[in-house]
Amino acid sequence: MQALPAFRYFAPTSVDEALGLLAELGGEAMPAAGGTDLVPSMRQGLFAPKSVISLQAVDALRRIGWDDGAGLEIGALATLREVAADAEVRRRFPFVARAAHAVGSPQLREMGTVGGNLCLDTRCTFYNQSQGWRDTRGACVKTGGEFCKASPNGRARKCFAVFSADLATALVAADARVTLRSARGTRTLALAEFYTGDGAKPNARAPDELVTGVSIPARMQDVFGTYLKYRVRQSIDYPIAGVALTLRADAARRVGDEVRLVVGGVTSRPLVVGAVAELLRGRSLDDALIEQAAALARKAATPLANTAGDRAHRREMVHEMTRRALREALNHAQ
Amino acid sequence: MHSEPQVGGALARADAVAKRLVRLEVNGAGYELAIEPRRSLLEVLRADLGLTGTKEVCLLGACGACTVLVAGRPVLACLTLAVACEGKPIVTIEGVADGHALHPLQRAFVEKGAVQCGFCTPGMILAGKALLDRNPHPTAAEAAEAISGNLCRCTGYAQIVEAIVSAPSLAADTPGQPLPGTLDSGPYLMPELGE
Repeated sequence: MQALPAFRYFAPTSVDEALGLLAELGGEAMPAAGGTDLVPSMRQGLFAPKSVISLQAVDALRRIGWDDGAGLEIGALATLREVAADAEVRRRFPFVARAAHAVGSPQLREMGTVGGNLCLDTRCTFYNQSQGWRDTRGACVKTGGEFCKASPNGRARKCFAVFSADLATALVAADARVTLRSARGTRTLALAEFYTGDGAKPNARAPDELVTGVSIPARMQDVFGTYLKYRVRQSIDYPIAGVALTLRADAARRVGDEVRLVVGGVTSRPLVVGAVAELLRGRSLDDALIEQAAALARKAATPLANTAGDRAHRREMVHEMTRRALREALNHAQ
Repeated sequence: MHSEPQVGGALARADAVAKRLVRLEVNGAGYELAIEPRRSLLEVLRADLGLTGTKEVCLLGACGACTVLVAGRPVLACLTLAVACEGKPIVTIEGVADGHALHPLQRAFVEKGAVQCGFCTPGMILAGKALLDRNPHPTAAEAAEAISGNLCRCTGYAQIVEAIVSAPSLAADTPGQPLPGTLDSGPYLMPELGE
């Protein structure tokens, strides 16, 4: 059996204890929640942290709760199964429950957490491979080399690995905010701003910070939302493409200010397609408008040949899923 | 010169991280083990405890063959650190039957022909048991969903779903009785070859 690289193991039981360890160990340590992303990557030699800080005993971060003022608050340690099964989530944000349920498999949802999903590493066919496979090709940008192996001429100096977290994509559409804590203090930022767009360093978490939770504003509870996922099989797989939509339309099907289309699984971040929101805002939703919006989403989604499904097919599916998501919204408004 | 590291072996790298004393409860029995933090529950079950019923396949969380129950939840032993299981009861395939008396779900697998090559079976049984423990009378759709993280390359999914759905009816009759086909009785033994 391919053994994991050696590491020191810490299992704090409180947030403060965890933050103290992160401050002390900094960049040499990695926090681990469910381990479903970290452990396979460690097995493939993609990460070899000197220390692993297991968060499984930090029970204070497990809570999911609704507050009329603060909205829906989800602790980072809540599992994906718990989010998918939670009565408040299902009642107020069914598309968030659906996105949580779309992740991986029952076992992976049982282990995997919200915090882990938000911090999911980006993926690429040239990166998520065994050490031996990668050694034959040399390092890529994400593993410390100079060039991206997936770029058309192999000369790009940027990493284009793909962000594939279903739940995070839906949460960006829900205008969620993420809370990060460290021994230095607490900061809260729009989840959309948490992502850098750089495949090599996909999110803004500092080495001593911990994602402690995510919240959806209360005003979003009566906004229509949906999440569609396309993948090779109906289980286990990461998305070939995912589309999340939130939209509020009046009885005359006129789209209000609250409209967001987010594409996952094709670029290095949950891609907020601003052009679609701009097009739809103030207009009356009909088939012709939906077709225009879907074409804009397709135009914005620019994958490289770095995951399952070829580039043209992935863009075609972004087009189709955007069309379907908007038709759902239209049916909902009628 | 360093010796090559050997997982769980007597030779340890000079910079190897100290082992920790961990108490695990597996199938109702307590074990005290000195293990390195990097060792997965799968390695410890198979190599240290000799419980080889839990199968090793992909080691990446993509097949379900190593599914076990930890604190009643179906998890992947290949992605679980053994040190993180302290104080949580673990159930493997070896702990599902009651002695020689098969669990109703195991009996259902036998009766419905849900075992072909058998390699995915331990993971399928544990995934199915996790469902039945939470939902004693699942529908076929719920059973299919419960095993959607477990690959069967013989592709006998229909019989496996059938077995999970039919297990509750078997639970109703005489629990704890030895079954035909267990080592205690003989219907499944090969008959003597005649002249």
